Amino acid sequence: MNPDDKQMLAVDFCGLKMDSPIVLLSGCVGFGEEYTRVSGFSNRDVGGICLKGTTLEPRLGNQPHRVYETPAGMLNSIGLQNPGARYVVDKILPTLDLSETRFIANISGSTVEEYAEVARIFDDSPVDAIEVNISCPNVKKGGAAFGNDPEVSAAVVAMVRKATSKPIITKLSPNQTDIAENARRCIEAGTDAFAVINTLMGMAIDIEERTTILGNNMGGLSGPAIKPVALLKVHQVYQVCRDHGIPIIGQGGITTPEDALEFLIAGATTVGVGTALFYDPLVCKRINRGIVDYLKRHGMSEVGQLTGTLRLNQAKSACEVCKDDD
Amino acid sequence: MTSHRDTIYPEQARILAHEAYAGDQYWMKVAAPAIARHAKAGSFVHIQVDAQRPLRRPISIMRVDRDAGSVELLYKVFGEGTRLLATRQVGEELSILGPIGTPFTMHTERSRALLIGGGVGMPPMVFLAEQMKRAKHGYLPFAIFGSEVPFPFSARPSAILVDGMPEGVIASMPLLEDWGIPSRLTSKQGYPGCHDGYVTDLARAWLDALDEGDLSEVEIFACGPHVMLEAVAKLARDYALPAQVSMEEFMACGVGGCAGCVVEVQTPTGPAMKRVCVDGPVFDAKAVFPA
Ligand SMILES: Cc1cc2nc3c(=O)[nH]c(=O)nc-3n(C[C@H](O)[C@H](O)[C@H](O)COP(=O)(O)O)c2cc1C
Ligand code: FES
Repeated sequence: MNPDDKQMLAVDFCGLKMDSPIVLLSGCVGFGEEYTRVSGFSNRDVGGICLKGTTLEPRLGNQPHRVYETPAGMLNSIGLQNPGARYVVDKILPTLDLSETRFIANISGSTVEEYAEVARIFDDSPVDAIEVNISCPNVKKGGAAFGNDPEVSAAVVAMVRKATSKPIITKLSPNQTDIAENARRCIEAGTDAFAVINTLMGMAIDIEERTTILGNNMGGLSGPAIKPVALLKVHQVYQVCRDHGIPIIGQGGITTPEDALEFLIAGATTVGVGTALFYDPLVCKRINRGIVDYLKRHGMSEVGQLTGTLRLNQAKSACEVCKDDD
Repeated sequence: MTSHRDTIYPEQARILAHEAYAGDQYWMKVAAPAIARHAKAGSFVHIQVDAQRPLRRPISIMRVDRDAGSVELLYKVFGEGTRLLATRQVGEELSILGPIGTPFTMHTERSRALLIGGGVGMPPMVFLAEQMKRAKHGYLPFAIFGSEVPFPFSARPSAILVDGMPEGVIASMPLLEDWGIPSRLTSKQGYPGCHDGYVTDLARAWLDALDEGDLSEVEIFACGPHVMLEAVAKLARDYALPAQVSMEEFMACGVGGCAGCVVEVQTPTGPAMKRVCVDGPVFDAKAVFPA
């Protein structure tokens, strides 16, 4: 790509200078080096990489099977397999070429305190930002995810806010009643950005054995199957974020340049790519190219001009969909 | 940055040949020069079976021809993905990633390689046999293949004598036979010339016929169903032999990114979840199947 075209893709994401609006999503690319095995793949093609979800202590993760293809998507139940925050910071981060892209830690915990502790460890590390995955089971609340409850989500964000001066990206779950209310509370608690959305919970069944296919019985649904849900959630969260200048990493099933453009128009500043890599590891090059071509066709000079340019129909039913728009 | 960069090649591979065999088995040959050049016995490829399927399917490599730039695969229709792969026609192109995985390791001090393949676990064993034949060191591989559907080749009475084989167990794989590598077949289906039993039964008969010196040069290599690999691990324990097994698991990325394909292994520091795609597919049998 020529330098002028490349320039069109540059974005500022809560202070992080990114060369492309594409962010590789947590859990899909290990700790940033795995996909470089693929000839032609480059970390420089993306604006940022969210590292695998990391907890305080090492975790073995769930029993297999952990992944299963479903119509237009897949289920995963990895169970946050990771070597622990200390190991990631001491042993893995030093092996990365930090000049290639922006590296973003993705943190998880089973208590609010654990989130804070993991955030502190990453605060004293070269990562550019900390993404808070609040879709984890809350041990003290009987395993319900932190992210399902605006109150608890905000408590997590507030604790992480105290633990770090790095930008905080709160990753919202679609498995909740009112994502906009949750976003509002997280902004009050000090988040700098959002990732919208994490996976939707699902199940797959083996009818011959009458068992569940995943070792963990249930798992997170990702891929094109969730794209329409994700678009609506990005739109809803954007209504809350717009006035605060809080940016969103839109994600959920993005596979083509057109998918990415839809998310940008709905209100995302950057777009996440996860499951699509499994089908095509070189998909980011194509998405970058497609975005540039679109911007030129529409007389725009930079990708940021697209964010939130969605025009809603004035029909009453459409307004009810975005009831948070006042 | 790590040294594994740029070791897996994405190729648009034209299908050169695609043939169906009994028991839903298919043999496919594709043009994939970079994969052919770098593949080793135990490597696999990750294939886009269909534009409408979000995940690729891992298929192990049976043979490569470096000069012709071709790769041969043998697979069995197992689910929807492989069923779609089976419909792909000669002349069409497939997006293929490979070669992937930690391959089998040959040891010169263990020349007597016992290759055990069950069903579609046969292909990597054929690859390993060919690799041993090509090696300068004089390996002496012996292959035992088991199948409960008709073998995807016409078995031939072997002209190579193998000690310890029960009366009448003479069926062999022609390809290996032509390379001068002895092989024998097993099945519970009563196919002619095949041993009526399991691969591990025939393996015991072979091992029992070796003298102590020869036995100390044996290493076992195996690929096949989980229960078979478990039995192979036990066999290796019983005879105090090293064994390498090639594992299978559902995969998403196939390149080490998602940790979706793990198998539990025992390490000196306790249990660990290893990725079948890049840490494997070949593992030490003792680590995967501890006593
Ligand atoms: C195999 C796999 C593992 C994932 N692991 C994590 C994780 O550790 N932390 C997290 O916040 N999200 C995780 N996710 C969710 C993704 O980051 C992403 O939000 C989701 O998959 C939607 O995007 P996609 O449809 O492009 O994959 C994982 C997704 C997949 C498919
Ligand atoms: S399939 Fe993703 S790590 Fe092996």
